[in-house]
Amino acid sequence: MTRSSISVVFAGSGGAGAMTAGAIFLQAAARSGYYGMMTQLFGAQVRGGEAAALVQLSIGPIEAQPDCYDLFVALDWGKIESFAPEIPLSEKSIVYHAKDGGAIAPSIAKTKARMIEIEMTDPQMTALERALRGKRVNIFAAGFVGTLVGLSEKSLKEALAASLGRKKADVVAGNEKALAAGIAAAKRQTENFLLAEANPGKRWLITGNQAIALGTLRGGVRFVACYPITPATDLVEWLSPVLQKLGGKLVLGEDELASINMVLGASFGGTPAMTVTSGPGLSLMIETIGLAVAAEVPAVLIDVMRGGPSTGIPSKMEQSDINLAVYGGHGDAPRIVIAPMSVADCICTGEWAVYIAEAHQTPVIVLSDQLLGQANEVIELTSKRPAAATRRTDGGDPKTFKRYAIGPDPVTPMPRPGTPGFGWVGDGLTHNEICVPVSSASVHAAQMKKRADKIARFEPGELWGECWGNGDTAIVAFGSSLAPAREAARRLTAAGRPVRVVGLRVISPAPIAQLKKALAGTKRVVVLEQNLGAQLYHYLLGLKALPADAESIARTGPLPFRPAEIAAHLGHDHVNSS
Amino acid sequence: MEAFSIVGRPPHEIAIVSGIGCSSRLPAYTKCYGFHGVHGRALPFSVGLKMVRPDLEVVAVGGDGDGYSIGGNHFMHACRRNIDMLYLVMDNRVYGMTKGQPSPTTEGDWDSQIAPGGTGLPSFNPLAVGLAAGANFVARGYVGDPIGLTNLIVEGIQFKGFAFLEVLSPCAIFRPEEIGWKARAHSRKKPPSADRATAIADALNEDELGLGVFFRREQAIDVKREKSTLTLADIERSFEI
Ligand SMILES: Cc1ncc(C[n+]2csc(CCOP(=O)(O)OP(=O)(O)O)c2C)c(N)n1
Repeated sequence: MTRSSISVVFAGSGGAGAMTAGAIFLQAAARSGYYGMMTQLFGAQVRGGEAAALVQLSIGPIEAQPDCYDLFVALDWGKIESFAPEIPLSEKSIVYHAKDGGAIAPSIAKTKARMIEIEMTDPQMTALERALRGKRVNIFAAGFVGTLVGLSEKSLKEALAASLGRKKADVVAGNEKALAAGIAAAKRQTENFLLAEANPGKRWLITGNQAIALGTLRGGVRFVACYPITPATDLVEWLSPVLQKLGGKLVLGEDELASINMVLGASFGGTPAMTVTSGPGLSLMIETIGLAVAAEVPAVLIDVMRGGPSTGIPSKMEQSDINLAVYGGHGDAPRIVIAPMSVADCICTGEWAVYIAEAHQTPVIVLSDQLLGQANEVIELTSKRPAAATRRTDGGDPKTFKRYAIGPDPVTPMPRPGTPGFGWVGDGLTHNEICVPVSSASVHAAQMKKRADKIARFEPGELWGECWGNGDTAIVAFGSSLAPAREAARRLTAAGRPVRVVGLRVISPAPIAQLKKALAGTKRVVVLEQNLGAQLYHYLLGLKALPADAESIARTGPLPFRPAEIAAHLGHDHVNSS
Repeated sequence: MEAFSIVGRPPHEIAIVSGIGCSSRLPAYTKCYGFHGVHGRALPFSVGLKMVRPDLEVVAVGGDGDGYSIGGNHFMHACRRNIDMLYLVMDNRVYGMTKGQPSPTTEGDWDSQIAPGGTGLPSFNPLAVGLAAGANFVARGYVGDPIGLTNLIVEGIQFKGFAFLEVLSPCAIFRPEEIGWKARAHSRKKPPSADRATAIADALNEDELGLGVFFRREQAIDVKREKSTLTLADIERSFEI
């Protein structure tokens, strides 16, 4: 009998190479036509410490993490216990652990999963080779599990070669041996977890962070200033060489205050510009977000959310920057906040963010998070792209040009510096139509209204969000909570209790009319989000965008929602995963 | 403005960027393009602007509080980055805008309401700091010497790289004693140095009212003109399985 999906954890201490094992396994499966997703789980250290690669493969698209993992591969036990309780296993799970891997992590032992000890190295390796080149347990494990699920030797070898890149010949040979040993060991096992036949197609393997970056490049971003911060750094590490080869510029600011101001400078100069950060950095940028609102300068800010407050949990997710993104800053400073709905949607949302910022001359904050950002996923290609939009730069007649004119259209042209006759000064002080700082009540009110109107008139069209299903119970969610919500809804619907899911791509200005329409006919509305304060719930309720009796499921990160957890919250404890 | 006409740039090719303070109100007084940002951040704004618009003449202006206190980190890093622009600091040794508090360049014994008897802190030597941080053009001017100042501005604009010009700018309201600079300001006796250590020693040892260029050293600016060697389609192909 074959199965339609499998979920595998590769875990090990720093240096064991769990991520590489996961990446090779995922690559090989993707090359064989399977869908797949890999997320990362770290221990106390952000990098270099104990870590786990959580990989799922399936014959159909996957987004949500499973309730329980089928296989757990311990490359060694090291400090796996520091995150082991966060990996759900059951008595149906199987744990393969390396011989000489140390003492079994207590929380793994407690799950009653079946424990199978195996020799995870090439038996032909001499003691000297082992000492010199390490044991390559991870490569062994990739070959071993890959074969157990039915991936071909060819696909595993190709994936290994892609992962090694241009390494030295002896390193390559050593790794190939370890892979072959893993493949051979799997053939000796009695268990197997063969996946049903794959259904190959034209697909991409991409992380959420790469996908957002790619989207913003499509949108025209050619200047990026940022200061490194987990979990946003790998976005910039991918983007930096690519952007520069496209003719753009990337600069490392001395801090986030510098970065966001560099972004405004470049944008003022006429180049679509972006910064990439996480909560602590976004906090530092807040004063300048107000400046971008007041001076009406386009800017894209990507916030890959992590656990907060303060330094919080750098390496893990939370959806707790909603208040900061929507309201952060003094004064009335309306801006646009959007959020990608999946890894694949990061491309569309990233591209759209640039168009909105440019067309509305406003900062646009994109709320992604660690889980979405660092998930590496096989995605289906779509040709659907947001409609392109650019900023207005034609000032008309220089004699009558007013940069901040009050008129029927609240978006007023911003001629590019260097254009004769239009010299204008952007200002964070309250200014009149011709950029002169004033403190008069009427001018202040008129300019505030201009900016508020601009945002209020923002028309997202069908990109406001999405509604799946038509049950009379609805879950309202955004970002990485959507996938487990949809999986929970699928299960409940299949069990005869239809649930619909309403996903928001636009957070601010809240798409109230669209949301009301999507919720029409519901008897029960539940807002699902990953923060303790129920930020999204209170925000939407405050705007009367939800029925007064709407409920909230809000809990802190950093553990992703599991479909079963959501189903249980909705009062249906016994809906199984298949 | 006179300096710009000497340099031969029309106003629309100039961008004046400032932070917050009395001295930061300058952009509003010209026909140039300009930006009046938040307190302390004129330099990073200017860096971003100049990086995408090398064709523009970018001048950042501000006060001593703006540049040396709240924006001190950006000051150091702008000196390191060596982006081709002029940074002009109008130093009145006081926070004028907020009505007379001590700034990093204020003498430690200067009495004020907020710091009775003085802060007791040594004052900051902007020239030495700028030099230590890597600025390649460092000079001091004085608003009471308009001809000399214009010459320094012209030289700073024409200098290829980051030019830092500290301008003594008495605050008649909160530091009336600074009017006395008129009698004591003087041209430096030494010519500009091309040796950083010498220039730092000069900045630290000479009296604080000597006007002129302390250090000038042309250093090839990284004019890595990014040519497109990749298209979006190439990038997208890299994700294909
Ligand atoms: C974040 C922030 N903090 C404080 C202020 C208040 N503030 C405005 S100008 C200024 C000091 C300006 O001093 P300086 O740069 O020396 O300029 P001057 O007014 O003396 O020309 C201060 C503290 C502000 N605008 N923003």
